[in-house]
Amino acid sequence: MNRLVTVAEMTLRELLRRRGVLLLLLLMPLTFYLIRRDAYLGQSVRSLLLGVGWAVSTAALFATTAARELEPRLRLAGYRPHHLYLGRMLGLWMVGLVISVPFFLLPMVDGADLRYGGLAAALLCSVGVAAPFGMLIGALLPRELEGTLLLLTVVTVQMLIDPAGSGAKLTPFWSTREIATWAVDHTDQGYLARGVLHGLAVTALLALGVAAVANVRLRRRRHLRHLPVG
Amino acid sequence: MNADDWLRTLAAELHQRRVAADAARHVVAEAATHLREGGGDPWVVFGPPQQYAGAIVESIGTAPGPRPGPVRLHARGITKRYGRRTVLHDATLTVRAGQIAAVIGANGCGKSTFLRICAGLISPDAGDVTVSGQLGYCPQSGGTADFLLADEHFVLVGAGQGVARGPARRAGRAAARQLGWEAGGDVQARHLSGGTRQKLNLTMSTLSQPDVLLLDEPYQGFDQGTYVNFWDQLGRLRDAGTAIVVVTHLLNQLDRVDTVLDLTPAQQTGRRAPAVQGGHP
Repeated sequence: MNRLVTVAEMTLRELLRRRGVLLLLLLMPLTFYLIRRDAYLGQSVRSLLLGVGWAVSTAALFATTAARELEPRLRLAGYRPHHLYLGRMLGLWMVGLVISVPFFLLPMVDGADLRYGGLAAALLCSVGVAAPFGMLIGALLPRELEGTLLLLTVVTVQMLIDPAGSGAKLTPFWSTREIATWAVDHTDQGYLARGVLHGLAVTALLALGVAAVANVRLRRRRHLRHLPVG
Repeated sequence: MNADDWLRTLAAELHQRRVAADAARHVVAEAATHLREGGGDPWVVFGPPQQYAGAIVESIGTAPGPRPGPVRLHARGITKRYGRRTVLHDATLTVRAGQIAAVIGANGCGKSTFLRICAGLISPDAGDVTVSGQLGYCPQSGGTADFLLADEHFVLVGAGQGVARGPARRAGRAAARQLGWEAGGDVQARHLSGGTRQKLNLTMSTLSQPDVLLLDEPYQGFDQGTYVNFWDQLGRLRDAGTAIVVVTHLLNQLDRVDTVLDLTPAQQTGRRAPAVQGGHP
C-alpha cells in the first residue's frame, strides 16, 4: 500500500510542479465552455466536460511517457507492475478531481439551471475515464506526438459523432455526454443510469488494458533466474 | 593542482591500488614532509600522482584483497539480434561477490544491450542469466524524473524496498556524499547539471544495497574529482561484497577491475583482465 501511495504522491507532485501544464489544463475546458456560451447552455456544459476529459487524458499521456525510463528501474527496486500503474492512475485521478472543482463551480456562478449532482457525476465520469484512457495511449504509443494526435482524433470524433447513433457508445466519453444531458435537459433517469454504467464499464476496461500492457512491458523475463543470496 | 590536491590524489590512488592503509598514510606523510622541507612543485619532484602511486605499488606491494565470494551473476551464451544484425553472440560473463567486471568494446558492439539483458529489461534470443540476491541498475542516461527533487527520488526508490521516508532520504544523501555531492537541496532533477544528474542516477542504483550492481557508463559528465570518487565508491562496494559490472570505454581504468568482457567482434568470449593489480587474483 505504501508503494502505491508513494507513486501516487510523486505523480501528483510532478504534475503540480508543471505550472504551465496546469494552466493549460484549466484553460482548455474553460475555452470549451466559453466558446459555446452564447449558444445553448447544454452544449456549453457538454463541451466543458469534454474539455476536462481531454485535459486529463493529455496529462495522463505525458505522465506515462515521462515515466517510461524510470519504471523499469523502479521495478528492479522492488515495485510490482500494479504499484506503478495503479499509483500513477490514482495520482492522475486526484489531479483530475482538483481541476474539476472550478469547473463544477463555473456553471453555478454563471447561474445555469442544472442538476448539480448530475454535473458532479459527469465530471467524475470524465476524470475517471480520462486517466486510464491517456495512460493506455501513452503505454501503447511511446512517442508523445503520436499519442497526442491519436487523442485529438478521438476527441474530435467524440465531438462530431451523433450521440444517438450506435457507434457513439464506442467512444470513451459517451457516458459523460449522457449524464450531462440528464443534468442539463432534466431528462429521465435512464440517461443517468446508462451514463454511469457506461462510465464504469469503460473505466474498468481501460484500466484492464493499462494493466495488461504494463504487465507485459514490466514482466520478469524468462531468461533471468533469481536465486536467494547463499 | 597545488601540493594539497596532489597529496589527496596520491592518497586516493594508493587506496584504489589497495596499498595497506598504514603504508599509504606513511607514504603520503613522507611526501608531505619532503615537500614542506624541500619545497618545489610535487609534479616536478615526484611526477604525476598516478605514476608515483604506481612506483610505490611496485616497491612495497599491496595488501591482499578479500577472496572473491560466491558467484552473484552468471550470464551464459547471450545472443541478441536486431533484425538480421547480430549484436551479441554467445557472450558469457561470471562475476563473484567482491569483484568488479568491466564490459568493454567499440561503439555499437552491444555493451548496453548486454547489461540490459543482465538486468532483465530486454530478452535475449539465446542464453540465460542467473542472479543471486538484489539487483541494482544504473542506465547510461534517463532513469530520473525531471520534476522531482533528489530527496523524492530517494523516497521513491526506498519505498520499493519498504524503507521509510526518513531513512531513505538519509541513506540517499549519504551515498551522494560519497560522490562529493550534497543532495539535500531544493532543486528539481531537470535543473541539475548533466554530471550531477548522473550522480543522482548512480545514487539511486546503490540505494537498495544491491548484491549485483550493473552500471552503464554511469560517469558521463563527471569531472575529474567525481570520477576519482566514483572509482573509490566502487572500491568500497566491492570490499563490502557487491558484485559490480560496469560498462566502460575508458581502458585506463582496467587495472582497477577483476574481470573484463570484451564485446568487440571476434573477441566475444569473456577473458580475464590482462593486467590485474591490487591483490585480486
